[in-house]
Amino acid sequence: MRVLVLVVLSVALMVVDARFTLLKPVRSQMSLVLMQSYWITDLPQRLWQGVASQFGSRTELVAENEKLKTENLLLQGRMQKLAALTEQNVRLRELLNSSALVNEKVEVAELIGMDPNPFTHRIIINKGERDGVILGQPVLDARGLMGQVVELMPYTSRVLLLTDTTHSIPVQVNRNGLRAIASGTGNPERLELRHVADTADIKEGDLLVSSGLGQRFPAGYPVATVKEVIHDSGQPFAIVRAVPTAALNRSRYLLLVFSDGRTAEERANEAAQAQEALDQHGGGPVIPATVPKPALVPTPAAAPVAAPAVPAAAATPAAATPAKPATTRHSAAKPPAAQPAATKPPATQPAAVKPAAKPPVSAPASTGGRE
Amino acid sequence: MVGTTASRNGWIVWLTFAIGMLLSVSPLPQFMEILRPLWLALLLAFWALTMPQKVGMVTAWCLGLAEDVLYGTLLGQNALILTLITFLVLSLQQRLRMFPMWQQSLVILVIFGLAQLVQLWLSALTGNRQPTLALVLPALVSALLWPWVSYGLRGLHRRYKIT
Repeated sequence: MRVLVLVVLSVALMVVDARFTLLKPVRSQMSLVLMQSYWITDLPQRLWQGVASQFGSRTELVAENEKLKTENLLLQGRMQKLAALTEQNVRLRELLNSSALVNEKVEVAELIGMDPNPFTHRIIINKGERDGVILGQPVLDARGLMGQVVELMPYTSRVLLLTDTTHSIPVQVNRNGLRAIASGTGNPERLELRHVADTADIKEGDLLVSSGLGQRFPAGYPVATVKEVIHDSGQPFAIVRAVPTAALNRSRYLLLVFSDGRTAEERANEAAQAQEALDQHGGGPVIPATVPKPALVPTPAAAPVAAPAVPAAAATPAAATPAKPATTRHSAAKPPAAQPAATKPPATQPAAVKPAAKPPVSAPASTGGRE
Repeated sequence: MVGTTASRNGWIVWLTFAIGMLLSVSPLPQFMEILRPLWLALLLAFWALTMPQKVGMVTAWCLGLAEDVLYGTLLGQNALILTLITFLVLSLQQRLRMFPMWQQSLVILVIFGLAQLVQLWLSALTGNRQPTLALVLPALVSALLWPWVSYGLRGLHRRYKIT
């Protein structure tokens, strides 16, 4: 008798939890206590790392220090160039009447647990709702995109990785802007590009970057490198396999990207106002009078979807005209100067990309928000 | 439920449950994740066999809810599974206590296998279908572990005279 009551209760709970948000507070209260267990089970490893760093030999530390210094120098050198490129990018975007980009804020989070279910690729991080994390927030590591936040708890959150079978992300080939959707396969080293035409210009070694079309991930972050392209005449589409650039099952420190919640228009307006204010002070660069009026919405034609690929390579306005109208899709239109922009400023924002610019398939960034 | 007035050393039972919960989220190497035993279900089965008047389906249900929060599944999914396991164990209790250890293991294998199949079905309902029947492997591992868990907990039970 009791079993019947409990079974009915469980089923009712499941239905309510799947359909409504009624139980969210209950869950978050319970997680406050229970998620400590992930922290506790992570403790031995943390202790081990602490001990290892305590007793690391001097020579090792010196060598590591040396290496880090070199790396830092290299990165700072690249940063100098980045500042100039960012500035240039902003100016060129203004010439194109498209909205300016905004720097994204990032915050470091630490991995504290893996999902025990071996069939899903989810991880637990030590930042939660109280730290300002929001649902659907993109998560990076040092090398590329990792996934997005799918469940919020007060001090922890659950992140769905790119390689989960329920996850897909809109990407584009960095070399030529070809758009595609990369879906997870359940293998931590493998993504698959779905529905890529057999004649599409994509080849081994191509870098895939996020295109920002799903309105979920910011544009321009590296996602994967193409590992193999199989043309099977028996299949309607080419089989394209890629390896995620992020170390999905090795990274311990992750970056949470805080992109602001404003719409593209608001951002454009604010950027324009800021620019006007700058011009009035006389400190700004001399720009042809194409500063967009606050009410002016960038038209889709002026906002090429492949914008992030163009500006860094293009020094002259002639090359900056959208070499690739948004209508030519898979026809392998190579922009004249589209050498893969050596250092893509990771600050590019999908500000200009509006839904009106016809995303190839208007798939959301992820299908499985929650299971 | 444990913790009523007449019980003695009931906290030990809860301690084992807490440890079981830690074990069920502890990090394992990739190839072993698929073999992770159903720790909570094992503990529940033992305590339900030994002290059916204390540990019953309500306990199982509460623990299941906790597991749901830990795993991020729908609230009630694991609660349902654990309740079913405890129900089956309790209804076979009279016979199970008489069985030799290997026979107990066999019964545990069947019960946990059934539970894992229900689990597979539920996760298919929620759109997260696992591609293989490897889901039954944890049941096998749990059945193999049953004798050790059982001996260990029995020792604990005698030593502290838990009632």
